[in-house]
Amino acid sequence: MGPEFVQALKYLAAGLCMGLGALGPALGEGYIGGKAMEGMARQPEMANTLLRNMIIADAIAETTGIYSLLVAIMILFVV
Amino acid sequence: MVLRFPLGPITVALNPATLGASLGISLLLLALALWLRREIPGDPEAPPSRRLALLIALVDFVENQILSGTSEKLRRSLFPLIATLLLFILACNLSAILPIPGMVAPTQDLNVTLGLALLVYLLTHVYGMRTKGVFRHIKSYLEPIPVMLPMNLVGDMGRTLSHGFRLFGNILGGAIMGAVAIPVLTDLLLRFLGPILATLALPVLGTVASLVLNAFFGVFAGTIQALVFTLLAAAYIQTASE
Repeated sequence: MGPEFVQALKYLAAGLCMGLGALGPALGEGYIGGKAMEGMARQPEMANTLLRNMIIADAIAETTGIYSLLVAIMILFVV
Repeated sequence: MVLRFPLGPITVALNPATLGASLGISLLLLALALWLRREIPGDPEAPPSRRLALLIALVDFVENQILSGTSEKLRRSLFPLIATLLLFILACNLSAILPIPGMVAPTQDLNVTLGLALLVYLLTHVYGMRTKGVFRHIKSYLEPIPVMLPMNLVGDMGRTLSHGFRLFGNILGGAIMGAVAIPVLTDLLLRFLGPILATLALPVLGTVASLVLNAFFGVFAGTIQALVFTLLAAAYIQTASE
């Protein structure tokens, strides 16, 4: 269990953290975008309001992805 | 590079790059504001000039897109704060694409984004106490049942932290992608094309890659994140004062 082994595990952990952490936000944002498109197609006059709310919802869904990015950066450079 | 100096029991750390960049951006925005203000005519019936049209479009965007959900009274008192936040964060995010050596976006520093998030958090209390009164504002933390008090407090903390971390993480992620792109591209080209073809292909592909990365992470993500930060700030203050 030399330092090389720990270093390798760090890279593995950062990759796993980012890959799995990006999965949830991607699904969530896709769902939000799809539903917003549906709404816009049904009521084009609401498109501006829907777009604004979609961007807020996207940003909130993205938060967990940003957390995993920060954790991956911490694993790589801080720990 | 970070300057550190002790101040009593704690050590104060200052990042000159962040400080300089944010001060420079503040001065630029101040100059822009003064330049645009000269255009406001004394006679309201006069036809607007081009610069005035820019100012009108900006005010109209903030009032009707970002503050559209708020009441008339709250909109008037929130407008200066929200417009300033939007312009400052937008200018900070866009400054990342400037080709100045040593230039980093101030929003790439957690201290800046978390400071802005804490400012918004303090203002939610100020607006809540102003519109509802001190007692009713504190009482709103005991709703729906008093047992929910710790939940509400933790929710507040998580909301503020994620508000700051979201902007920071997005801009930092973009900066890391930009910094990593050229070394990774060089390595890949050397490995697959050999040294002669790689030296020929690298300038072209490197330019294209940095253009695309700057357009997406600098301009697009920077604008969206500035918008999201201000939209959420307006939404937080509005929910606290209802």
